[in-house]
Amino acid sequence: MSDSAPLTSDQPGQVASATPPAPGRSRRLSDRGLAVAFTSPALLLLLAMSVFPLLWALYLSFTDYSATRGGQADFVGFGNYTAILASEQVHLRALTTLIYVVGAVTLQTVLGFAIAYLISRRTHGRGLLTTLFLVPMMLSPVVVGLFWRFMLDAQFGVINSMLGSLGLGQVEWLTGQRTALISLILVDTWQWTPFIMLIALAGLTAVPKYLYEAASIDRASEWFRFRTITLPLVWPLLLIAVLFRAIEAFRLFDLVYILTSGGPGVSTETLSFHVYKVAFLGFNTGTASAYGILMVLVVIVLTQLYLRYLNKLKED
Amino acid sequence: MRYPKRRGRLSVPGRKVGLATAAILLATTVAACGGGQNDSAPKAPATIPELTKDPLTLSFIWFDWPPAHALEDFANAEYAKERPNVTVKVKTVPNANWHDAMFTQFAAHKTDFDIPILDSQHIGEAVTNGNILDITDFVRQNIDVEAYNPYLLAAYGQFPQAETGKRDENASLYGLPLLGDTWTMIYRKDLIGDKPPQTWDEMISVAGKCQADNPGVSGLAFHQANGSDAAAVTYNTVNGVYGGNLWNPKTRKIDGVLNDAAGHEAMDVLVNKMKPLTAKGSGNWFIDEVNAAVAQGKACIAFNWIAASGGLLDPKQSTLGTTREEILGKLGFAALPSQKTNLVPLGGMGMHVSAYSPEANQAEALNFMKWFEQADIQKKWAAAGGVPSRTDALESPEFLNAAPFNQVYTDSVPRMRDMWNVPEYARLVDIENTNVNAALNGAKTPKEALDDIAKEQQSVLDAGSGKGGGGL
Repeated sequence: MSDSAPLTSDQPGQVASATPPAPGRSRRLSDRGLAVAFTSPALLLLLAMSVFPLLWALYLSFTDYSATRGGQADFVGFGNYTAILASEQVHLRALTTLIYVVGAVTLQTVLGFAIAYLISRRTHGRGLLTTLFLVPMMLSPVVVGLFWRFMLDAQFGVINSMLGSLGLGQVEWLTGQRTALISLILVDTWQWTPFIMLIALAGLTAVPKYLYEAASIDRASEWFRFRTITLPLVWPLLLIAVLFRAIEAFRLFDLVYILTSGGPGVSTETLSFHVYKVAFLGFNTGTASAYGILMVLVVIVLTQLYLRYLNKLKED
Repeated sequence: MRYPKRRGRLSVPGRKVGLATAAILLATTVAACGGGQNDSAPKAPATIPELTKDPLTLSFIWFDWPPAHALEDFANAEYAKERPNVTVKVKTVPNANWHDAMFTQFAAHKTDFDIPILDSQHIGEAVTNGNILDITDFVRQNIDVEAYNPYLLAAYGQFPQAETGKRDENASLYGLPLLGDTWTMIYRKDLIGDKPPQTWDEMISVAGKCQADNPGVSGLAFHQANGSDAAAVTYNTVNGVYGGNLWNPKTRKIDGVLNDAAGHEAMDVLVNKMKPLTAKGSGNWFIDEVNAAVAQGKACIAFNWIAASGGLLDPKQSTLGTTREEILGKLGFAALPSQKTNLVPLGGMGMHVSAYSPEANQAEALNFMKWFEQADIQKKWAAAGGVPSRTDALESPEFLNAAPFNQVYTDSVPRMRDMWNVPEYARLVDIENTNVNAALNGAKTPKEALDDIAKEQQSVLDAGSGKGGGGL
């Protein structure tokens, strides 16, 4: 008589292992061996392509190594880190990045949620509208940057042409000190608002209908329903979308590279763009590695704080 | 029956995987650490080694512009007559990535090109890092150096950098000229007359009048972008014309030299006299945008590289005429006006040999360079749209009659001045580009921008180039 596999278990993870090996399988390869054999290629790839470069960059960040000049990588302790943290050039780029992240993510959140809210109230054509709104998100940022560069050109661009036909003056979108950063925020918002919209729409669709029905019976106003039902239920999901967008915006490089090259002067240079210059113009590999590690640390710390807030929100 | 849960140490396969992982990490670390670099460039043989008879692709790397395509077509048509088993491929990258595309491969000690086409200012970085071959002995045995203006030969090959207008015959050579270039002044004959302005002040005055007389047409168009070396070359040109200096190469001093009275005057002329005559929003213009403004009849006077000016005569790309002759009736090309000096910017690039290329390809590269620098081939290159460097080719009818701006180049050769050819070039030019661009777009005052350039560039030179720390 053989034991039969239990139908329920207090340790669900072990149900699969209760099945005996299939007949004909080599006895030398246990379940664990098989698992290791199947996962090891992916693990090794991950180690070689992600973990090792990260550890290597961490090591280089404590040295004065240069990828082109080579020679001995001398240990400089936290010298690169203190130089970065004390540098006025870095502070300037950090401020630019902060303004960009706050501006772009705020605008995208407001617009994305508003569009999702409007779409969720429609009964017809919702799928088509959603698909159309998602198109910008599907494009490569380089392509987006290139065609916006043409559209925003002060002399030949379609935007200024439209403004001109309305009797408004020409705007130096990409070469004005203030307008250049605003242009970056607008282009990023054009591309990534659909991402927030998509997640907000998922949240809005998941709000139980009976809550609205109950509120209707109580003759609750539209604003009251939005404030007390819709927003609290969608908020946690929306915050996750904001987190993703903020991380993405924090490491913005491609749009800056294509649209403004960091100009005028360095007024639209973000931290990522600055790291690129340190790494590939001067080939100051040690400094660039420390700079990159610091950026990762900032993201990790801010994400942890954010996730704690999210968890607290859930518990409340 | 339930299988027991494993505890404790890893199973045998698990340990093997762990060991394999450690081995891979170790091997990758060794690979990453390995390949210690040379402190100086390796030497090319004085004579060309035996060439392969097998099919071979000789690869160049350059940025994407008309001369790159012209070179590939020309080399495959002409070099194939001598070496039918060789195919020439000119790989192109966007101008802004040109330096990075070459030097990231140099950093990996493995290149997918045999002949990097370096800007003259890149030579110092490549030589110091041992990325290109020292071809001094090869040149001595295979090239007729007397056939060149000494400064042209020095500018595209010599390191340490030659003094402006001269060549140090004892210095090593690391490259040979491929394409000569300088700025040309492009002016609208139908708007300002047939005679081009002779001085810089006159040029500004004529451009201002032309702009006032022709609404919708801006007085000037020139490079202002903060990418590549765009805005930096513009300032350096005005600096030279107004008697300024970029640095003192002997003492390696920039602060106090660049931002002296002449330097400040040049920056003031550029920002306060020339910039107001440009089109609104032209603060990010480079080669293509300046050409577009000229071709669309939107500029009275423009400045651009000669090698990039060919498209201006193409009726398909221009609104100035339906034939080349009609366009030439409106466009004139002249050497730059002078003021306190008559200096013009040195452009163009040289051919070099990658130190990481296979030996057969290095031999082929040397053979190509020897072939290319022959008198008759230089004339054919001129006829194909290239700008040669040999004096006989520069003065030949093949070159002078090939394009209306070629005479400008020949006349400009004795007037050329280059930037700094030092390993720190990429950082120096970035500092200058961003600050001049900031001044041109109102983000900094001219004085503030020039003083910042001098201070920041000096700190880069003072820090030296031996190590990879710093760089902020």
